[in-house]
Amino acid sequence: MAANKRIMKELGDVNTNPPPGCKITTKDEDIYNWDVSMDGPDDSIYKGGKFTIAIVLPKEYPFKPPTLSFRTKIYHPNVTNDDRGAMCLGMLRAEEWKPPNKIADVLKLVRAVLSAPQPDDAVEAGIADQFKNDRKGFDKTAQDWVKKYAK
Amino acid sequence: MQRLEARRGVEEQHFLARRARSHSYNPPVDLRLVDYVSSYDPNLMCPICRCPFVDPVVLAECGHCFCRECIRQSWNTQTTTYTPHGPHGDCPSCRTPARLRPRSTTNNILINMTDELIVRCPKSDEGCKAEVKRGEVQDHVNIYCGFTLVECGADHCELPVRRKDVAQGCLHYGVSCLSCRKELDKCNLDCHWRNDCPARQTECAVCKSMVFPRDLAEHSSTACAAISVPCPGAALGCSNRSTGAQARTHADTCMLAKLAPILTTQHERLEEQEAAQKQMSRKLEVLEDGFTTIQSILSPFSSDNMVDKLGTDPAPGPRPTDLPGPYSADFDLDAPASFSAPNTSAGPYASPLHHLLHMHESLRDEISRISSALSELDGRHSMQNLNENLRTREEISYIGAQLGGLQRQVHWLTSAQLHRQQAGRSPTPGSATSAGTAITDATSGAGVEAALGAVNTAATALRGAARMVNVGGREASGMRRGASEEGRTKL
Ligand SMILES: [Zn+2]
Ligand SMILES: [Zn+2]
Ligand SMILES: [Zn+2]
Ligand SMILES: [Zn+2]
Ligand SMILES: [Zn+2]
Ligand SMILES: [Zn+2]
Ligand SMILES: [Zn+2]
Repeated sequence: MAANKRIMKELGDVNTNPPPGCKITTKDEDIYNWDVSMDGPDDSIYKGGKFTIAIVLPKEYPFKPPTLSFRTKIYHPNVTNDDRGAMCLGMLRAEEWKPPNKIADVLKLVRAVLSAPQPDDAVEAGIADQFKNDRKGFDKTAQDWVKKYAK
Repeated sequence: MQRLEARRGVEEQHFLARRARSHSYNPPVDLRLVDYVSSYDPNLMCPICRCPFVDPVVLAECGHCFCRECIRQSWNTQTTTYTPHGPHGDCPSCRTPARLRPRSTTNNILINMTDELIVRCPKSDEGCKAEVKRGEVQDHVNIYCGFTLVECGADHCELPVRRKDVAQGCLHYGVSCLSCRKELDKCNLDCHWRNDCPARQTECAVCKSMVFPRDLAEHSSTACAAISVPCPGAALGCSNRSTGAQARTHADTCMLAKLAPILTTQHERLEEQEAAQKQMSRKLEVLEDGFTTIQSILSPFSSDNMVDKLGTDPAPGPRPTDLPGPYSADFDLDAPASFSAPNTSAGPYASPLHHLLHMHESLRDEISRISSALSELDGRHSMQNLNENLRTREEISYIGAQLGGLQRQVHWLTSAQLHRQQAGRSPTPGSATSAGTAITDATSGAGVEAALGAVNTAATALRGAARMVNVGGREASGMRRGASEEGRTKL
C-alpha cells in the first residue's frame, strides 16, 4: 500500500515535470504498467526516432527494480534484439538497484545509454562487435532501423 | 469474594474484546497514506517511500536517514541472514553495511518537524473536514473524529457505527435508498449518497455528465471536458478557447501562452518598481521640506557670522568670497522670505541638495587647509624650540667647563695651603707664632671652604637653570601640540 502511494507520487511528478523527451502514460489506472514514449536523444544516432518503452513495476517496488523493454525495435548493443526488447544494465540490475532510485532516474539512464552505447556491457554481442569495429556500418544500420521502425 | 473476582474477570474480558473490536474497526492510521495539506521541505522526505519521514532512523555507519519501516522492508527483501544483534544489511542509498539497533533513532528536531506537518483526516473521504497536525492525527481519529467507527450504542448490537451517529440509537436496520432502491443499513446511507449512489450523482451544468457530489469541485476545475478555458495567453491577444485536453495541447504549442508567465512576472516587477519609485519621491519631498526648515533656522546668522569667525583665524583660511552663497533659482520660489540672499561669486544651483553638497565640499576644503596650516605652524614652532634649546645647552656646557676650571683652581689652592701648613708645623716654632699661624690657617681654611660652597651653589643654580630651560621647552611644545589638536577637532 505504501509502495502504491509512492508510485502515485512518482507518476504525479513525471506528469508535472517529465524527463526530457519523455511522455508517460498508464493504461486504465494500472499504475504498475507505465508506457513511455521517448524521442531519440538529439546527440545520438537515434535522433528523430520515437521509441515506445514499457516499464513494469514489480509489486515490491521500490525494493525491487522495474523491468524495462523497448516495444519499438531498436538496433543497440544493450537492447535484446527480440520481441522483448529488454534493456538491463546499471541501476536496473537487481543487485545494483537502490530503493531511492526513481523511474525518472531510470529514464535518464536510458537516454544516456542511447547516446552512448555500452558495448562492454552488451546483451547483443554481434551488435557490440560491429559497434566497436565497424562504427560506420553500425550507425547506418541503426539509422535505417530508426527510419523503418521508429517513425 | 469469588463472585466478585469472577465478575471482574468478565468485565476485563469485555473491555479487552471491545478494545480489540474498535481496533479492527479503525486500524491505526498509516501516516504514509494520509494527504499532506502543507507543503514540506524535500529534505524531510524519505528516499524510499517519498513521504515525510515516519519514525525516522539514522544509520550510524553512513548517516543516511530512512523510516524505520522502510529500512526494515528494504532489508527483508534482500537476502539477510539472521543475527542476534538485530536486522542489518546495506544502506539503500550508499550500500554501506549497516545495522539497525533497537535504540537507533534520529534527533528530535526531525521528528518534531515531521509531526508538525498538517494532514487531512484519513476519514476525509467519508466527510470529515478536519485538518490536524500529523503528530495528532491518531488522537483525532481515536478520540475526536465523528467518522470513526465505534460500537453501536444499542444493547445487544455489536455492529460498528460512526461516532457522530451513536446518539441516534441503533441504526442497523435495513433501508432502501430512495433514489436508487439499493438495500443497505441506515447508518451507511449518508456515505452511500455522498460517494456512490448513481441516482444521486449531480449533473455537471456544463458538460451534462454525471458526477458524484464529492468530485464536483474537482470536475469543474480540471476534468470537465466542456468548460472551455481561454488560452493562458489570452491577455496577449490569443483568442483561442478550447476544452479539457485540447486546451492543454494548445497551451503546449501556443507561443503567446508560453510568453504569458514571463510577461506577467515582468509586469509584476514593473509595478513593484513603480511603487518603489513613488516611495522614493515621497521620501525626497520630506527631505526637501526638512532642508527648508533647516535653512530657515540657520538663515538669521548665516554666512556673515561664519565669515567673521573664520576671518580672525591667522591660518590661511578662505576669503569670505570663497564661501558659497545661498542658492537662488528654484528654491527662492519655495521659501523666499525665510532668508535674504547675499549672492556672492557662487552661481545658482540646480537644487537645494546641490547647494548643500557644494557647501559641504567647500567646508571640507577649508578644514583641510586649516589643518595643513596648523601642522606647518606646529613644525615651525618645534624647530624654533629646538634651536633655542641647542643654544642654551651650549651655554650651559661652556659654563660647566668654566666651573670645572674654577674647581680645579680651588682644589689646587687648598692643597697648596695644606702643604704649607704641614711644612710650617713640623719645625715646632714658638707657641705664640704657632697660635698665630693656627688662626691664619683657620681663617684661610674658612675662606677656601666658603669659596668652595659658593662654587657649589653656583653649579646647582646652573643645573637648575638648565633643567628649567629643558622643562620650559618641553612644556611649550606640548602646549602648542595640544592647542593644535584641539583646533583640529573643533573644526
Ligand atoms: Zn520511508
Ligand atoms: Zn548510506
Ligand atoms: Zn476526522
Ligand atoms: Zn446497532
Ligand atoms: Zn442510492
Ligand atoms: Zn462538466
Ligand atoms: Zn493560445
